Amino acid sequence: MSTSKEAAKANVFRRLTDFDQTKVVNILIRNSLLIVLLLVMVYFATQNDRFISIGNLRAVLIAAAPFALIALGQTIVILTGGIDLSVGSLIALGAMVSAYLALRLPAEQIWVAILAAIAIGIIAGVINGIVVAYLNVPPFVATLGMLTAASGLAYAIGGGAPINGLPENFGVLANTKLFGFQLPVYIMIISFIVLGLVMKYSAFGLRVYAVGGNRTAAEVAGVNAKRTLIQVYTLSGFLAATSGVVLASRVISGPPNLGQGYELLAIAAVVIGGASLMGGRGTVWGTLLGLLIIQTLKNGLDILIVPSYWQNVIIGVVIVSAVAVDVWASRRQSR
Amino acid sequence: METMLEISNLEHSYGGVPVLRDVSFSIGAGQVVALAGENGAGKSTLFKIITGQVSPSGGSIRVEGNLVERIDTRRARELGIGIVPQELAPYPDLTVYENLFVGREIRTPLGTLNRAKMISQSNEMLGVFGLEIDPRRKMRDLTTALTQIVDIIKATTWGAKLILLDEPTSSIPEQEVQRLYEVIHMLRSKGVSMMYTTHRMTEIQDIGDRVIVLRDGVLVQDTPVKDSSPEQIISSMIGRDLEDLFPALDAPEDGIGISVQGLRLIEDGPEINFAVKKGEILGLGGLVGAGRTEVLEAIYGTRAIRSGDVVLNGTSLKLGSPRRSIDAGLALVPEDRKGAGLVLLRSILDNGSLPRLKKHLLAGFIRPLSRSKDVRTAMEKVALKFNTLDQSAESLSGGNQQKIVIGRWLGNETKVLLLDEPTRGVDVGARGEIYKIIRDLAASGLSVVLVSSDTPELIGLSHRVLVIRGGAITGELSRGELDSDEVQEKIFRLASDQALLEV
Repeated sequence: MSTSKEAAKANVFRRLTDFDQTKVVNILIRNSLLIVLLLVMVYFATQNDRFISIGNLRAVLIAAAPFALIALGQTIVILTGGIDLSVGSLIALGAMVSAYLALRLPAEQIWVAILAAIAIGIIAGVINGIVVAYLNVPPFVATLGMLTAASGLAYAIGGGAPINGLPENFGVLANTKLFGFQLPVYIMIISFIVLGLVMKYSAFGLRVYAVGGNRTAAEVAGVNAKRTLIQVYTLSGFLAATSGVVLASRVISGPPNLGQGYELLAIAAVVIGGASLMGGRGTVWGTLLGLLIIQTLKNGLDILIVPSYWQNVIIGVVIVSAVAVDVWASRRQSR
Repeated sequence: METMLEISNLEHSYGGVPVLRDVSFSIGAGQVVALAGENGAGKSTLFKIITGQVSPSGGSIRVEGNLVERIDTRRARELGIGIVPQELAPYPDLTVYENLFVGREIRTPLGTLNRAKMISQSNEMLGVFGLEIDPRRKMRDLTTALTQIVDIIKATTWGAKLILLDEPTSSIPEQEVQRLYEVIHMLRSKGVSMMYTTHRMTEIQDIGDRVIVLRDGVLVQDTPVKDSSPEQIISSMIGRDLEDLFPALDAPEDGIGISVQGLRLIEDGPEINFAVKKGEILGLGGLVGAGRTEVLEAIYGTRAIRSGDVVLNGTSLKLGSPRRSIDAGLALVPEDRKGAGLVLLRSILDNGSLPRLKKHLLAGFIRPLSRSKDVRTAMEKVALKFNTLDQSAESLSGGNQQKIVIGRWLGNETKVLLLDEPTRGVDVGARGEIYKIIRDLAASGLSVVLVSSDTPELIGLSHRVLVIRGGAITGELSRGELDSDEVQEKIFRLASDQALLEV
C-alpha cells in the first residue's frame, strides 16, 4: 500500500518537475538571443572593468547607429523574401553626395546637402524596387547591379579620391550631444521604435509579411505586391543614404569606400535575429538583438585587444551558431 | 496470422492539446488496413509516429512482436516501415531507375555507377508490377499515378514490410486508380502489410481488409471492411448520422447581380456570356482544364483577358486588378488554398482581415479592436474551430483553413462570390458546413459562381449549371433538369466531345 502511495507521490513530483522543466526550457529557447547577449556582456564585464561604463555604452551605441539603419532596411527587405546588397554602396554614395555639396554650398545651407544625399538614396531604392517588382529580376542580382553602379558613382563624385576640407558644421549632425549621447544614437532608437511599431501594427507591416509569406495569396487578397516591393526597397535606400550622411558627418569627410561590406554585416544581424531568408518570418526586435550581439562582441573584443582578424573569425562562428540554434529550436517547438 | 505492427495505448499531444488518445490496434502481415477519419482526427500524427518523425507522449509500439523503445526515421526504416507521402517528392529531372536506386546505387569495382545493371534490375522490378515503362525515362514525364507506383516499388525494394500510404488516390484520375489497386493486391499477396488513408469510401470497400476510424484522436471503430458500409463509416467519422449533405435552396431574387458579356480569354477564342441573379448559385461544370478556373480569374482580375465586359450592379468593372474587384464587391475563393488562398505563416486574424483591411485603418495603422471584433464574428459564423485568433493558419486542418478563406468575405461589402473547388481536400463534416455557409450567403442576396469537379456537389448546390468545354459554354441545365436521373451523364456528355455527335 504505502509503496504504491509513495510511487504515486513520486510520480506526481516527477510530473511537476517535468512540466516546470519543459516550461523553463521553452522560455529559455524563446529568449535565446537575449540570453546570448547577456552572457556576452557578463563575460566581458568580468574580463575588464572598462566594459561596464557610460563611456563604453556611448561607444557601442554610436558605432551601432549607422549600421542599425541599414540593418532595419535590410530586415524589411528580407521579410518580403528579397535581399538588398546595395546598402553598403548607397552609404558611400550618400556620404559622397552630401560631402560634395557641403563643400560647394554656403555653410548655413548644409541641410540642402543632407536632403540631396537622402533623395539620391530614395531614387536608388525606387530603381531597385522597379527592377525587382516590374522587371522580375531576382533581388540578389538587381541589388548586386546597384551595389556596383552606386560604388562607381561614389568614386566618380570624388574623382577617385576622398573629399576633405569640409566646413566644421558638417559634423554637427553626428557629433552634437544631447543628454550625453550623440544625435545618431537617438536617430537609431527612434527608427527602431517607429519601424518596430509599423511592422507590428500597420497595414504596411502586414502587407510586407503577406507578400513575403505568400505573394500569390497576398495578391488574391487584393494586396498590390509590386507597390509593396517598391516601398520596401525605397525605404532601404532611404535608410542607407541617411546612414551614409551620418557616417560622413562623424568623420567630417567623404571617403568613397565608406560602408564597404556593411551590407553583409547587416544581413548577418537580421539573420542572427531569427529572420528567414525565404521571407515572411522575422522581427525588428530580433534584428535589434542581432545587431547588439555583433556590436557588443566587437566592442568587447576591442577592449580585450583581440586583433580584428580574430574578431572576424569569432563573429563568423557566432553567425552560423545563432542560426543553427534557431533552426534547432523552431524544429523542437513544432514537435 | 503473424502480427506486423502492434500499437498499444498510444498517446500524443501538441502543446497540451491531445491529438491521439489511448489508441490501440494491430496489423497482421499481408493485411491492408484503411485508416479513415476527418482532417484533424489524428491520422497524420499517427503516421508520423509510426515512421518515427514524431516521438509519442505515451504508449508502446511493437514491430513483429518486439517492443521498439525509441523510434526515429532511420530505425523505422530498419524495421521495414516505409511511407509514400501524399505530396510526393521524387527527383523529377532524374530518370526512373535513378529514382529507384538513389541512396543505394550499384557501383562498378572502380566506384563509378553501374548504370547497365541498375537499368536491368529496374526493368525487372517494374515488370513484376506489370509496368511497361522504360526506366531511362525522366520521372517528370510520368503521370502522378505512375510516380506514386514507382515510389511504392522503391519502398518494397529496400525490404519494407509495412507501407503507409497517405491519400494515395487523392491526386490521380479514376482510370489510373485501378493500376494502383493492382499493385496493392500484388504486395499483399507477398505478405506486405499496408495502411492507408483516404477520403473515398468506395476505395475502402475495394481494397481494404479492415477499416479503422479515428475521431478527435480516439479510435472509434476497428472492424472488417465486409461488416461496414460507406454510410456507417462516415457516421462514425463525424460522430452523427449524415444528414442530407446539401441544404435546400431558396429561390433567387429578380435582380441581376453580375453579368459577363463577351469575355474572351484568348484572341479569337470563344465568347463567354452569362448573368447571375442576386441570391443565385450558378454552377460551372466541365472537365479539368476546360477553362472554368480561367473564367473566374479573368472576372476577378488575376488573369489578363483579350476582350469583354463584367457588369456589377449596373456598372462596368475595370478588369485586371483584384484590388478594384474587391472594392467593387467581388470575392474569390481560389482553387489552391495553400498556394493562393492563405499566407500560412500568418494568423487567423491577419488572413481573415487582409482583403478588407482598409475599413480597420486609422492613419495607416490597424485598429486592433475593430479588426478582431469583425474577424471573430465572421469566423464564428463559419463555425471555425480555433483557440485564439493569433493562431497561425498553418496550425489548422484543411477544412478549417478553407473556412477562413470563405469567412473573410462575409459582410455587406461582398456582392458576388466566386468559388473555385471550395471543398477540395475538405473532409465530409466540414464539407456539409461549407455548403450551408454558401447557401446562407446566397440566401442573403449574394450572387455565387461555383466551379466544382465534384459532380454531386455541382448538382446539389446550384440553382443552374453551365457546362464549359475548351473555354466555351456548351450547355445549360436548369434546376428541373438537375433533379433528373440522367443529369450526371448529361453533364459528362456536354463536358466531353461526345456532345458534338449528338447535335
